[in-house]
Amino acid sequence: MMYVLALISEEGGMEDATPEEMKAVMDQWDSFTKKSVDDGSFIAGEALQPTESASTVRIKQGEEAVVSDGPFAESKEQLGGFYLLECKDLDEALEYAKQIPFQDGWVEVRPVMDFTELGYQSYSPGPVKAAA
Amino acid sequence: MRFMLTLVGPEGGYEDITPDQIKDEMRNWEAFGKEATDAGAFVAGEGLQPTETAKTVRGGRDEEKVVTDGPFAETKEQVGGFYVLECKDMDEALEWAKRCPIRDGAIEVRPVMDYAEYGFEDPAEAGATPSPS
Repeated sequence: MMYVLALISEEGGMEDATPEEMKAVMDQWDSFTKKSVDDGSFIAGEALQPTESASTVRIKQGEEAVVSDGPFAESKEQLGGFYLLECKDLDEALEYAKQIPFQDGWVEVRPVMDFTELGYQSYSPGPVKAAA
Repeated sequence: MRFMLTLVGPEGGYEDITPDQIKDEMRNWEAFGKEATDAGAFVAGEGLQPTETAKTVRGGRDEEKVVTDGPFAETKEQVGGFYVLECKDMDEALEWAKRCPIRDGAIEVRPVMDYAEYGFEDPAEAGATPSPS
């Protein structure tokens, strides 16, 4: 079963970080990702650029799509990234969520839809294999 | 460059749908996924189960983690799925977003971070190989 870990936090906070502090933080994320790859759980995961880089497309069927600058919600907390992990159950997904090296934030954990009974397969790749 | 398309909209709306209507909807999504794959743009994408299945883990580093039921935000609009697409620029990503077969909602489009300058690579590009799903 695939789970999405949506990483939510207040934006910013790293502006005044020294290169050493930045590296220390990056090392923690890197080791989390490496562990999930080595476990055979990692399918995909990305960190997003700040919401000032966002555009939002509003779609309503039968109407023309409208593009606006900025994120969908102008809230203090924003999505900052995600992991898509293959886990045997919710408990395993929650264990990963607890190990996320957040300085301060929330991880929303949700299983993905399974459309195989309708005859549709996921297009996502399977877990990546660790480099030998 | 990779872009994340986050699909946001009101939950539900499929409770009274007929099997034929579901089939039509699914065919649209299938066509979109296939087109993105054929174009070499598709990296990953999933639909999420309803937020009633969600758990949220709160906690910073060196703090005890607290798990609660439900999504992070109790808002009417919720994330329903996502795509990560390889696009040459934001305009191309927006073109994909506009063609997404969402009925009523919004798609937030954001470029992903590039940490190559820090010496960190995406595992999918660092010698690891994607396996077929």
